[in-house]
Amino acid sequence: MARAQAPTFQEMIFALQRYWAAEGCAVMQPVDTEVGAGTFHTATTLRSLGPEPWAACYAQPCRRPTDGRYGENPNRLQHYYQFQVLMKPSPRNAQELYLGSLAEIGLDATAHDVRFVEDDWESPTLGAWGLGWEVWIDGMEVTQFTYFQQVGGIECSPVPVEITYGLERLAMYAQDVDSCFDVVWCRDPEGRELTYGDVFHENEREFSTYNFEVADVESLRAHFDDYERECRACLDRGLPLVGYDCALKCSHAFNLLDARGALSQTERMNYILRVRTVAKAACVAWMAASDETKAEVA
Amino acid sequence: METRDFLLEIGSEELPSAPLDAARAQLPKLVSAGLDEAGLAHGEIRVISSPRRLAALVADVAVRTEAQTQRFRGPKLAQAYGADGAPTRAAEGFARSKGVPVEELRVVESKGEKHVAVTVETPAKEATSLLGAIAETVIAQLSWPRSMRWGRTSERYCRPVRWILCLFGGEVIDASFAGIRSGRATWGHRVLAPGRHDVADPSEYLAVLESAYVLDHDARAERIRGQIAALEASQNLVVEAPASTFAEVVNLCEWPTVLAGRFDERFLAVPREIICEAMLSHQRCFPAFDAEGNLSRTFVMVSNGDPAKSEVIAQGNERVVRARLDDAAFFFEEDLKVSMEDWLEDLAQVTFQEKLGTLRQKVSRMEELAAACCRLAGEDDATVEEARRAAHLAKADLVSQAVVEFTSQQGVMGGHYARAAGESEDVALAVAEHYRPRFAGDDLPSGVVGSAVAVADKLDTICGMFAIDEPPTGSKDPFAQRRGAIGVIRLLERMPSVPLRALIDASLDLYRAQGLDFDQADVRRAVADFFIGRLQVMAREEGAQPDVVAAIAHTGVIDPAEFLSRVRALEAARAEREELMDDLAQAYLRATHLADPSLGLDVEREDLEEPELALLTATESAEAEVSAALAEGRFPDALAALAALRAPIDRFFEDVLVMDEDPALRTRRLVLLNRFAHPFEPVADFAALAKAPGA
Repeated sequence: MARAQAPTFQEMIFALQRYWAAEGCAVMQPVDTEVGAGTFHTATTLRSLGPEPWAACYAQPCRRPTDGRYGENPNRLQHYYQFQVLMKPSPRNAQELYLGSLAEIGLDATAHDVRFVEDDWESPTLGAWGLGWEVWIDGMEVTQFTYFQQVGGIECSPVPVEITYGLERLAMYAQDVDSCFDVVWCRDPEGRELTYGDVFHENEREFSTYNFEVADVESLRAHFDDYERECRACLDRGLPLVGYDCALKCSHAFNLLDARGALSQTERMNYILRVRTVAKAACVAWMAASDETKAEVA
Repeated sequence: METRDFLLEIGSEELPSAPLDAARAQLPKLVSAGLDEAGLAHGEIRVISSPRRLAALVADVAVRTEAQTQRFRGPKLAQAYGADGAPTRAAEGFARSKGVPVEELRVVESKGEKHVAVTVETPAKEATSLLGAIAETVIAQLSWPRSMRWGRTSERYCRPVRWILCLFGGEVIDASFAGIRSGRATWGHRVLAPGRHDVADPSEYLAVLESAYVLDHDARAERIRGQIAALEASQNLVVEAPASTFAEVVNLCEWPTVLAGRFDERFLAVPREIICEAMLSHQRCFPAFDAEGNLSRTFVMVSNGDPAKSEVIAQGNERVVRARLDDAAFFFEEDLKVSMEDWLEDLAQVTFQEKLGTLRQKVSRMEELAAACCRLAGEDDATVEEARRAAHLAKADLVSQAVVEFTSQQGVMGGHYARAAGESEDVALAVAEHYRPRFAGDDLPSGVVGSAVAVADKLDTICGMFAIDEPPTGSKDPFAQRRGAIGVIRLLERMPSVPLRALIDASLDLYRAQGLDFDQADVRRAVADFFIGRLQVMAREEGAQPDVVAAIAHTGVIDPAEFLSRVRALEAARAEREELMDDLAQAYLRATHLADPSLGLDVEREDLEEPELALLTATESAEAEVSAALAEGRFPDALAALAALRAPIDRFFEDVLVMDEDPALRTRRLVLLNRFAHPFEPVADFAALAKAPGA
């Protein structure tokens, strides 16, 4: 039985949106293509670059095909949610703001053991890295907290801070349930509960089957090649946003190939390199385009 | 001299543990260097740290530097002023170099000569005017393995700097870094005493910290140890707190509270290695053992939270540990459903090294090499087959779920799976232990089967990397060839009958059979040289003198047991009979300088006179004794046999003119010297032992 006073899954998202909106973040919606993490959203990757201030938050569904367990593991999902905050430049009180946000989702930091544990972050596919921590609550890793130093191979200046909440874990802890499928998504006025399992259990079963057993390797390889080509074509035509979208498609095709066990180590490294190359090219093109816009305005 | 205490606290977001410890060592050096350079006398420097602060508390800093009066003598008077009485360029340059106007030059007389001179007064400087710059330099000079920028600043530090506390006595010293200005405030524990806490004077700093629920590093370590000891005593347990995890735990809290948690009994059925690993490396929790050494269900965690909330915090940790152990148990149980042969097939998909092929191919080579090693060690056929079998299974666990998750338990898990699959205990143990020795001082595999597999694994990697011309370099050794070589050396020390050169050949033959193309003679020589290099390093680390090590290395001996025992015997001989050995080495050097190897070794005994005859007789008997002693591994006896040559050679050099005018006589004596040097060669290079004359 979930703790009655704890917020539901959807209430947690509402609360985080309200909290960070009050701190000046634009509440965005998720990017509408498959991504492995909230970081891949243009509102994070591309907006981390360049001199203009930027602050945004959003919930992002993430797909990590290799993490699927057919809905049989209470802690592992191939599709899950992150709540992402990006603030550029990083404010002085970023940590305090974060700790304040925990109380809004039913986890008063003063009643728990909250720890910032070294975890330097690197995304080989985005050519990005930063320093920061994973945040532990009573030993459970619930958030990734990173000061980006480089994205798409480009130095970040000013430096953004990225805060990524693992929503399912936080909800499990706040609601005191042992399986993510038991997390209460919402309650209707009569108190009837809709659980995370009601919403996603079948999804986990089907997509795990697809990711591990069904996805057609040859088509995936072809998709990768097509989107890689498309990316370059778009960048050549001065369309960095579209090019970046294609890079995301490449990344997802690679993740599926990986889940299918279709890649040798060497091939895997090559694919990662290819994703990084197009992602970096898109970032560079986006920076160049925004410089041109400014030049025109001036 | 009036003094006050100086305090610099750099407040930051949470610093990672290892870099923090490194910075704790740097800080006093930087502070001391800054104060010394400024000329400020000071007392002891104490470092205080927590995850969010790094501070130096300096006792008794002088309130001002000492005033100085310095007198400098310049050019001679005649060169200082021209005929017109105007100062020359020499005088102007001298004045400029001392920072005074040329008019201030005075004339002094020294040893009857007149010079221009100047007196420079350096007034005392107030510490308050110097300490700010020192503080700023210290902050900027702390070096970190990885540093970062934040916000809009361009300064770098390990994590964002959030406050600077800088006090000289009760006075705030103005300093700034990355847009932060210093003050007298420190920040308390995030939960127990959040916000700023003012420090009136450096002497109160530790008390203010403690009242703000922040303990210094050593106090935290002590508190954690004390609470663990109390828990061990009350529950009759032994807590395993490895130094590296303990160091991290100390740097993850400001106000530690040791708590005990429990996990379900069912996890006791899972191999304890992955249970402990899951708790230690993933959760920084310590496992505990009962009096009999069995893993207990109790584990220990260190909280940084409010002690009043310990129950909730312990429950939360128990949940996380349960989930971790669930994973571990799940992986183990799933792994048990798979046959090791299936994993071996999977190894055919895993690259060992791009040019050297897959792990499956490595396993095939290891089977042959382990069997060869066992055979050379004189083991019976059954043991040879066990080595082959253990090598066959050694790498299978690399694709098991448990090892993919708990990489450091590679081998150990394979041992469990082999045992579960009904393999013999020797084979299972060999699989479990074949990565040993994994670090300096690590145990070796407990049996000969495990040792043979361990040698095969490491030597295969080394030979392969040399065959593709990728030996380790100063900065690159991704396949840990150096560590591997040290492992092979330590293993073969225990198997003295196994000739390393034969194993290297066997390994290279296996690569050739696999279709790898390389120059076998070149690679064999390169691998042997690599081992000789490692042996020399190891011998020197044991404390042997470099010339002794070089003397043995020059003989080309690479079998570790023999190499190291020769070094030890030669060290001992020289320690016991230093003068004799030096003299012998000098004689050898003199003989080999004169000798002409092209003349050969054959002497007609009938032609000889004394003391030539005595030298030949002694040499012949030394030759016989040396070869017998070396064949039987009695190295000290070989040295003793050579030592017996001292008197005859000394007499020979004293009484005989080698370079006689008579060519026949000269040739005879040179041949005799060739012969004299001959028994030395297989023992050691005595030329390397000869001290330079006068040294």
